Amino acid sequence: MYRLALNMLFGDRAKLAMLLCGLAFSALLMAQQSSVFFGIMSWTYTPMVNIRAQVWVSDPMVEQVNDAKPLRDTDLGRVRSVDGVAWAAPLHTSFVQARMQDGNFKLITLVGIDADTFAGAPAVLTQGRIEDLRLPDTVIVDEWGASLMGRMGVGPDGKPRSTPLKVGDTFEINDIQARIVGICKVRRAFTGGPFVYTTYDRAKGYTLGARRTLSFMLVEPQKGVTPDELCGRIERDTGLKAWTSDTVIWNWGERSLARNTFWWFWTNTGIPFSFGTAVLLGLFVGIAISGQTFYSFVLENLKYFAAIKAMGAGMGVIARMLFVQAFTAGLIGFGLGAGMAQAIGRAMIEKGMPPFVMFPQILWATFALVLGISFVSAIIGIIKVSRVDAASVFRG
Amino acid sequence: MSAQAHTVAVRASGVDMFFGTPDNQVVALKQADFEARRGELIMLVGPSGCGKTTLLSVIAGTLTPQAGTVEVFGQRLDGLGQEELTSFRRKNLGFVFQSFNLIPTLSVIENVMVPLLIQGRPYDEAHARSLAIIDKVGLKGREDGRPNALSGGQQQRVAIARALVHEPPLLICDEPTSALDKDTGAHIMQLVRDLSRSPERCVVVVTHDHRIFRFADRIAEMEDGRISRVVDDPKLLDTTHL
Repeated sequence: MYRLALNMLFGDRAKLAMLLCGLAFSALLMAQQSSVFFGIMSWTYTPMVNIRAQVWVSDPMVEQVNDAKPLRDTDLGRVRSVDGVAWAAPLHTSFVQARMQDGNFKLITLVGIDADTFAGAPAVLTQGRIEDLRLPDTVIVDEWGASLMGRMGVGPDGKPRSTPLKVGDTFEINDIQARIVGICKVRRAFTGGPFVYTTYDRAKGYTLGARRTLSFMLVEPQKGVTPDELCGRIERDTGLKAWTSDTVIWNWGERSLARNTFWWFWTNTGIPFSFGTAVLLGLFVGIAISGQTFYSFVLENLKYFAAIKAMGAGMGVIARMLFVQAFTAGLIGFGLGAGMAQAIGRAMIEKGMPPFVMFPQILWATFALVLGISFVSAIIGIIKVSRVDAASVFRG
Repeated sequence: MSAQAHTVAVRASGVDMFFGTPDNQVVALKQADFEARRGELIMLVGPSGCGKTTLLSVIAGTLTPQAGTVEVFGQRLDGLGQEELTSFRRKNLGFVFQSFNLIPTLSVIENVMVPLLIQGRPYDEAHARSLAIIDKVGLKGREDGRPNALSGGQQQRVAIARALVHEPPLLICDEPTSALDKDTGAHIMQLVRDLSRSPERCVVVVTHDHRIFRFADRIAEMEDGRISRVVDDPKLLDTTHL
């Protein structure tokens, strides 16, 4: 009977198309919105991805990576003396205004790294060399930031056009010249500003007036010491807060700074509510469209189901037929919706906006929800058919 | 067991059936007695609202009477639960409906296969048996088409094939010719008669169509919820009020 159930479903192409549209739209909305949500949330801990270190040490009051509470420079020595530390390097991060050559101002994320070890330096440089940061007044700007901070001019078509900054260009931070010696590739951040790398000592100069400039310490454990273990030792010996740097969302541990950043944004911003609403909307729209269409499919076939009942099919057989129909539609609808979400996601990734992270878990959750919609649709149909009197087939 | 008992296919005795609430009760059957024999084609006739369809539903086990007994091929239906009634219909009944009730999104052969698949027969077996009966009703070559592409007479042939494919002892026909013209109706009744004629089978036909009375072995006339008389010769019926 299941084969016939499927043929009944596929035989009514208009209804099937409507049903699949509802399910696919629902799957698309849920998968796409969830992926953008996780993409945006992954941007919140971008510094953890761009500035690579196994252990981060901060002031005990720090809750997330974008909220640095400066430490004393002497804390660096205390951390270096903890048993199990291979090395510890200072890190400065702050948001400062940069003045472009055309007089325009841009908010940048200033990253000061240790000039000796270059710990925390960007992984990929598309232009220049990291060593050139040791030259006076030098910075490395990220690729996207270079175009954002670019010089405004007029293109060949007469329209205003921004020319990305390149090696050799200069701008000012707190009236101090910053000369670009490299362009790097880093992940964009939730805060939106370009990443500008310089040395830790020069960063101090760029942030005149700040008494403390040590935002974090980047620490490498000695061989045989796990990051988690080292965090415990640093916290015990110094009273500072130590974090692991795992950024894999489904595997991060209790001490992960990325995890804490994620949950800080989860609880302190309206982002989850906003995207959660969109996902719920997708679910409700799916239930409404699919439920209604499936109900109308059942209504249209009601007299045939009544005839099948009269011929001796029990409700169990009919219920299974309806489940097969609903779940098949759900499966196809999910495939279409998830496929579209993936295609849109790829386009987004190419443009870089908005961020898009489609975990397998998102697909599984969307699949489960679409099956849930199909289940509800089938139940609505089963209730309707169960109320049909088999004797009604004799009433013309 | 008496010789008469062996010849009886359907027996309904003292059947009461009413609908609605006690305050607003509609009596459909009132102490109705009905008997159909093995190997015969019996027609139930009578004016609209006399209880023909209700009696047919009671015999088919789709309605349970408030009083009386119903026995079909030795099986008492009163007292059976819904599941047992469903199982009984699955094994023993074939239906031909007034409006055919062919599923438009399925092919002709898939429609015919339905009773066999409900019985749990393998798809291939159901397909082969359906193909054979489609051939018998004269629709060979049309098995893969949709019912909507067939004429009314051809659709009713499909319905007959569906009703007989699982070889049920009792064939229930509800107004099988009402949607057909005279000649097509006659062809259909001839087909029902030919295909269902067997000592182990019985055909009960509810009809208003006096043009097909000649196909009946006996005709039971109903009036006010009961059988008023049974005749062997249709000429004995007064058809002016039917």
